[in-house]
Amino acid sequence: MSDLAIRDLRKTYRTKGRPEVHAVRGFDLEVDSGELVGLLGPSGCGKSTTLRMIAGLEDATSGDIRVGSSSVVGLPPQRRNIGVAFENYALYPPLSVSENIAFGLRARGKGDRKKRVADVAHRIGLTDILDATPVGLSSGQKQRVALARAIVRRPDVLLLDEPLSHLDAGQRDTTRRELRHLQQELGYTTILVIHDQEEALSLADRVVVMNDGVVQQVGTPDEIYDDPMNLFVARFVGEPPMNLLDGAHQADGTVRLSTETRVAVGDVPDAVGPVVLGVRPEDVVLAGEADADVSGVVVVYENLLEHGLLTVELPGAEERIVAQTAPGLGLEPGREVSLALRRDRTYLFSAETGRRVR
Amino acid sequence: MSTTVTETADPSGSTAAGSDAAPARPRPELRSSRRKALAGSLANVSLAAYFAFSLIPIVFILALSLKSNADQTTTYLAFSPTFENYRTVLGIGDGGSSYVRFFLASLVTSVGAVLVSLAIGIPAAYAAARYRFRGSEDLLFTLLSFRFAPELAVIIPLSVIYQQLGLYDTFVGMIWVLQLVTMPLVVWILRSFFQDLPAELEEAALLDGYTRRQAFFKTVLPLVRPGIAAVSLLAFIFAWNNFIFPFTLTSSNAQTVTVSSLAFLGGNQVQFNLVAAGVVMAALPPLVLALFIQRYLVRGLSFGAVKS
Ligand SMILES: Nc1ncnc2c1ncn2[C@@H]1O[C@H](COP(=O)(O)OP(=O)(O)OP(=O)(O)O)[C@@H](O)[C@H]1O
Ligand SMILES: [Mg+2]
Repeated sequence: MSDLAIRDLRKTYRTKGRPEVHAVRGFDLEVDSGELVGLLGPSGCGKSTTLRMIAGLEDATSGDIRVGSSSVVGLPPQRRNIGVAFENYALYPPLSVSENIAFGLRARGKGDRKKRVADVAHRIGLTDILDATPVGLSSGQKQRVALARAIVRRPDVLLLDEPLSHLDAGQRDTTRRELRHLQQELGYTTILVIHDQEEALSLADRVVVMNDGVVQQVGTPDEIYDDPMNLFVARFVGEPPMNLLDGAHQADGTVRLSTETRVAVGDVPDAVGPVVLGVRPEDVVLAGEADADVSGVVVVYENLLEHGLLTVELPGAEERIVAQTAPGLGLEPGREVSLALRRDRTYLFSAETGRRVR
Repeated sequence: MSTTVTETADPSGSTAAGSDAAPARPRPELRSSRRKALAGSLANVSLAAYFAFSLIPIVFILALSLKSNADQTTTYLAFSPTFENYRTVLGIGDGGSSYVRFFLASLVTSVGAVLVSLAIGIPAAYAAARYRFRGSEDLLFTLLSFRFAPELAVIIPLSVIYQQLGLYDTFVGMIWVLQLVTMPLVVWILRSFFQDLPAELEEAALLDGYTRRQAFFKTVLPLVRPGIAAVSLLAFIFAWNNFIFPFTLTSSNAQTVTVSSLAFLGGNQVQFNLVAAGVVMAALPPLVLALFIQRYLVRGLSFGAVKS
């Protein structure tokens, strides 16, 4: 178990006859020993490529990767001592589960093989299926075997590429908890690629949000959720997604969404001009006319079980605003409603750069 | 009989027809399942017809090989069978014949050709499956084109070249030229076997500390073993059955059994029955192997390793 430091890591795929692909463009990250970092981002943003470079399966175009105190750049995967659980499990069909787990120990000729396999199998809950072959296993079981195989030889760093993606909802929940428990108990420095942002936020110590090969923000789940640094993070994280309304910030401290609709946001130095106003649906509340920031006409009210989602058209504004309300309100379309935005949880982004200005 | 067929073919409820008033006309679904059954038996009949049809030349040649000289041109199926032709071809009681030698020559060239193709073709197929390099597609296509270029087109220059290089009528020459037949087969079929295996299998082995070579031999190769078996048998059959190359590039030393069987047509007496006996025996090895091959040609090798 060691800490991991990645500096300005880049990867450019050059294929003859095709345009270059800049899969990773300057990735910086420091992972403390024993920490679990979630890598979050849309499909094709370079998550797997980053993991593969850390593991040594892909040459980095430039940048540095340090495990513990020494750089591993240029070392072949055999000499990096990094464990990877692949998305497609990479289990070896002719071998039994226990042989699959032991496969990696055999390469390095480690003794006490049986004991270690049994120990890991016990921790991950595979004891019952040690003699089965991978073919008949469920995805969740295969996933766990892949995990067992990655950790049995006690790697310095553990990399997991979408370990939950093939599980159904129920399995996901339990596997996620097990995974977290195991990771904490064993103390592995772990990077976890994860598609589902809710899972990333609930599982990781810190989250890295990536887009288009570039790190957008690194922070604790709370920081990512409450303090998005730019439009991309604001849009990508959160379900239902944040309301993002185009407008213009005026010198009088309001954002003009349309000729009829203005929202007071207070003074923001140097932010006069086109902005995007962001507010999460849970921070938009139904209000009396006196306290209202905006008012509009109900487009649809969706009555979900735990809460309701109210979509409102603001006069003259292009985007509709969504409010998360109590369930069972029964608001008909066409009705006038007034909404208040929680001032301290309203964000302003520069429309030009996407960076947050307040 | 047709009712039992329709009842088992349609479990959706027509079996319970007894309680309903019996319909005057067959109900639509009954009619459609009856039509299905009819189509099924039609298919069976035509398959059987095709089977019989394709059996005709085999039965014919088998019968011919058992006919005496007198019977060979005058009878169809009513004759008194004799093994005399086989004895003659093999030279039994006659101090042996060259047929056995030609048979062995066939074995040596076919097995040799397959081994050479495997030795070169397995690494080639692996590389073609895993790496894109400059001209890799062109190379593969060129290889494939050997298969569909007519052999007759190259045979004259080839025989001239062989004469001059001293490869004419040698085993080395035969094994070499048979690569045109076996190599494309090996490379193309094995490439798809390799492609079916996820690269992560090897990568996981690398991470576990195996070298590239070990990873190949320990993970990939065992998994394509059924493919190698299948393609070897297939290549062997193609090499064995090849006629034009040994016909033009050998004379006695490395001549194969396919060509030598024709020798009985020469001389002053045309002995089709002897040719038949030679051909029947020559057809045995591919036939036996073909029976084995079916089992191996089943795909889905990497089953369980890949996400579905
Ligand atoms: N071998 C390769 N050659 C060329 N381009 C590649 C190669 N591998 C990946 N890419 C490209 O690099 C980019 C990043 O790919 P990567 O697999 O890292 O994305 P990802 O974030 O893991 O996506 P996903 O969530 O779908 O797994 C993609 O645009 C992809 O097409
Ligand atoms: Mg990926």
